[in-house]
Amino acid sequence: MDAQLKRGLLDICVLAAIKDEDSYGYKIIKDLKPYAELSESTLYTILKRLEAASMLTVRTAEHDGRLRKYYHITDVGHRRLEEFREEWKEVMKIYRFVAKEENDNE
Amino acid sequence: MSKQEFLEQLRKSLSGFPKGEVEERLSFYEEMIDDRIEEGLSEEEAIAAVGPVNTIVLQAVEETPLKTLVKERVMPKRRLAVWEIILLVLGSPIWLSLIIAGAAVLFSLYAVLWSLVITFWAVFVSFVAGAFGGIAAGIFLCARGDVTQGLLFVSAGLVLCGLSIYTFYLCKAATKGLVGCSAKLAIGVKNLFRRKGEA
Repeated sequence: MDAQLKRGLLDICVLAAIKDEDSYGYKIIKDLKPYAELSESTLYTILKRLEAASMLTVRTAEHDGRLRKYYHITDVGHRRLEEFREEWKEVMKIYRFVAKEENDNE
Repeated sequence: MSKQEFLEQLRKSLSGFPKGEVEERLSFYEEMIDDRIEEGLSEEEAIAAVGPVNTIVLQAVEETPLKTLVKERVMPKRRLAVWEIILLVLGSPIWLSLIIAGAAVLFSLYAVLWSLVITFWAVFVSFVAGAFGGIAAGIFLCARGDVTQGLLFVSAGLVLCGLSIYTFYLCKAATKGLVGCSAKLAIGVKNLFRRKGEA
């Protein structure tokens, strides 16, 4: 997949993974696993980028005697997800057109 | 390798990054390892899943702007003494010009490489121009009745045409190669400003 496109999609995936309830690093990776392979380093960068864009906030909480960081989606993040759903409707329209062309050729 | 060893190795490899970022990355990876262990993986397996130190560092270098790395490398960790500032100012005619000269030499080396590529393209353009010119002149001469000379021009044009096709691929390869080298160079320069293996 095109690297630029993939980067944008992974940002959305991470936002979607925390949209219903706050989550932490390893859980995000596990939740996304069936849909997108995400390495620790990549996740770190994405979380930093989303935090800088005020799409999420970070809080540290104690868990089992150690500290764990929880990520919470902001209104800006929710809006981004909403935007993505709208954008993707258009992309899907184009996709249906392209897929139809291929079926006709077969 | 134990978790502590892994984190220590990572800390060493990340020296040269801003201190806050190093701590943040370390705690991030520590949490990742702990969460995996909690889920039942052995310490060894959890570390392997987080990935080798080299891969982590390489990705970090690629993502960090050069400015941040240079700042971290060049800025002294303590405040300068008065005499050091005076020496720096007094010595500026020497060290400043040396740095500028060094940078200029490096820049001109890079420029030479690009001018080589530009030369290749110039040769290509002149071949194409020669090919068109030769064929056009040949047809013109033939039309005027100078068939022998006309054919000579046309054939010269065709030869240039063939040569231009070859040079086009050469030019393309040279440009691609240099663009690839530039990207590697950028990473190399960033690595230069990282203090490797310094605890």
